[in-house]
Amino acid sequence: MPPRIHCSARSSVSRALQRTTSSQGLAAFLLQSSKNSSRHYASASSLLGSLRLPDNYIPPTQPPSARKPDQRKAQLLRSYTALLRSTPLILFFQHNNVTFVEWAAVRRELRAALAKVPAPIAGPDGRVPVDISESIELQVIRTRIFGIGLKIVEFFDADAHKGQSNAYTHDLSATAYETISKAPIDENSMYGQISPLLAGPLAVLTFPAVSPAHLAAVISTLAPSPPAFPAPSRKKNPGYHDPIAQSGLQKLILVGGRIDGKVFDQEGLRWVGGIEGGLDGLRSQLISMLQSAGLGLTTALEGQSKGLWLALEGRRTQLEEGSGGAKKEESEAAKEEKKEGETST
Amino acid sequence: MHNQPPTMITRFITEVVTKFNPFSARSRATRLFLSSLPPDARQTGITINNTVLPRTSTAPPLLLIKFKDGKEMKLDGEQLGIKGIVEEVDRHSRALQKQADLTD
Repeated sequence: MPPRIHCSARSSVSRALQRTTSSQGLAAFLLQSSKNSSRHYASASSLLGSLRLPDNYIPPTQPPSARKPDQRKAQLLRSYTALLRSTPLILFFQHNNVTFVEWAAVRRELRAALAKVPAPIAGPDGRVPVDISESIELQVIRTRIFGIGLKIVEFFDADAHKGQSNAYTHDLSATAYETISKAPIDENSMYGQISPLLAGPLAVLTFPAVSPAHLAAVISTLAPSPPAFPAPSRKKNPGYHDPIAQSGLQKLILVGGRIDGKVFDQEGLRWVGGIEGGLDGLRSQLISMLQSAGLGLTTALEGQSKGLWLALEGRRTQLEEGSGGAKKEESEAAKEEKKEGETST
Repeated sequence: MHNQPPTMITRFITEVVTKFNPFSARSRATRLFLSSLPPDARQTGITINNTVLPRTSTAPPLLLIKFKDGKEMKLDGEQLGIKGIVEEVDRHSRALQKQADLTD
């Protein structure tokens, strides 16, 4: 049967070859060699030997993939590993049969809550940090593939395999697969701590930067716990108490989070959300604490001698007063004696 | 579709109370039970109450199910697994279904 697609493989191969070799300027040589083929056999073969098809060459008889990107497991795995490597703050939610309309309502409320977080102010050098409110996303993940992605990020180091020849070291390679299959999973490693969370249907909320203010807004909306993280009131945010939004929010359970490679539970996340002033505020608190600690140390060391000095000073003044009084009395008595002496004689 | 949670008869359930520590592998079955309730569970009258225990808690996961005839079933997810839980719940639900069919 003739090929279904009407273009010859030979022409597509030559087109592909031209694309790869045009930058090297060998096209001119090709044309010359094809004309004088009888004399330049040796040179033609050596030229052809150095020509190769590009790595992304797809033969024209292979139809394009009909699968949607989010159903292609390989693509999903790569997107998950990229997410894990680039996201410092991830929250895990279990979602129990949340319908499409409820997801829309939940995301709407999340956007509204994040819009209320005050915009970042300019730093001391005049530059304004990026506002991350728009980049915070809540996405449903394929739990098993996410688990494999976590394993790759944790246990596979591409640089360790650089010396090997003929070994691809990308996340989908056989090298990566062998490394993670053989890796011993320590319970105290990040994967070991997160793995119990990876059960059932999971959704992930990703923050491009660690911002306690935004985290507090998210916790107040999706997993409120008064008094520190109260849900918005009916008057201030009637959309939050809309039945669809409420039923969607009730189906979401915050199970844990990962911040900078460390795993936190609900209480830990609430603690991070409660940090005032963000990371800069935390740093300034630390500095002031260190400074006052130095002061306190010197006060404590000097305190004993100071106390002794104060006590002695107090005693001295007491003695002075007492002796001054005694001296006064003596002088008065001396005067009286004198007077008596004078009167007597 | 692969790995679908087992479908359950949920018509006769009135209340579900759960407590689990998500960082413990024992809570897996309890969490899967929660995810196997239908999307309109709350609208059809099932009260679902869940508490997430802190990471350091060693308490076993709690799963308490109340049925329309007043029966309260406390199931141990760790021992039974999700299949066992669904089996127990379905067994009672089928008995209630038979009763309902007979009285109709």
